[in-house]
Amino acid sequence: MPYPTHPVPAPDEYAALRARLGSSRVGVIGLGGLGSNVAWMLARAGVGTLVLADHDVVDASNLERQFYFADQVGREKTAALTDNLRRITAELRLECFQAHIDQSNIGSIFGGVDVLVEAVDSARDKALIVAAASEQLPGVPIVAASGIAGYGSPNDIITRHLMGDVWMVGDLVSEVSAEHPLFASRVAIAAGHQAHMTVRLLLGYPQA
Amino acid sequence: MQIELALFAHLTPYLPPAGAEDESGSSHARPMDLPDGTTVGQVITRLDLPAGPRIVFVNGRHAPDDHSLANGDRLAIFPPVAGG
Repeated sequence: MPYPTHPVPAPDEYAALRARLGSSRVGVIGLGGLGSNVAWMLARAGVGTLVLADHDVVDASNLERQFYFADQVGREKTAALTDNLRRITAELRLECFQAHIDQSNIGSIFGGVDVLVEAVDSARDKALIVAAASEQLPGVPIVAASGIAGYGSPNDIITRHLMGDVWMVGDLVSEVSAEHPLFASRVAIAAGHQAHMTVRLLLGYPQA
Repeated sequence: MQIELALFAHLTPYLPPAGAEDESGSSHARPMDLPDGTTVGQVITRLDLPAGPRIVFVNGRHAPDDHSLANGDRLAIFPPVAGG
């Protein structure tokens, strides 16, 4: 086993780990149920810089699972999330892009990130983003998600190293639909997996 | 030539049957014999994979449908589903 699965840092090592996270830069594409929750977890974990992108505004229906509040309905998600993250930690550095991400802008916006989190909704966009990141951001680990909807077992949500630089969170099959809506609890589990895999990658532990 | 084919999630039933020589023990990967120069798109057609978005990697990097495969390549196809 090339990497320890349960490193237990000594106090001085803990400071070094926090410093490493503090000097890290993580991109998050999509600020919905996955991305908005990944963002606050990474902020609380001490990641120094977040590059956030979404083209959408906060909708009242988002409040059941996304990290926004009723008085933010109608605001751009990047602006609303900036306010919410600043209330957690004023030191966090944020680079926000109110934009739809595709192959035309992923390289320029997310160049230089240490880890990229794919947190968009549509299957087509997920495939497009992973492909474009593989081509334009070689060597950057991508933490993606697929299969997070419905009320299936929480324990079916896992993190796996899928292929190349891609780590995949989810049960792989539970697609969102009228019969399988998104529940805050299961989406948050997946967001937690994505955030924690990101932390592990930043600390040098790529094993899922 | 021979490649290794890995299919994930709801694509795994489309894997060709395991041959006696397949000792990988993997439930989602198989060796696959192909004519030289076969493209990724031709493999997808040959397997009759269902339509829908796919993440397609060859040897750990994204590859388009017109990418020509070489002996020993590892082709991996993952079908993402919506929800985020």
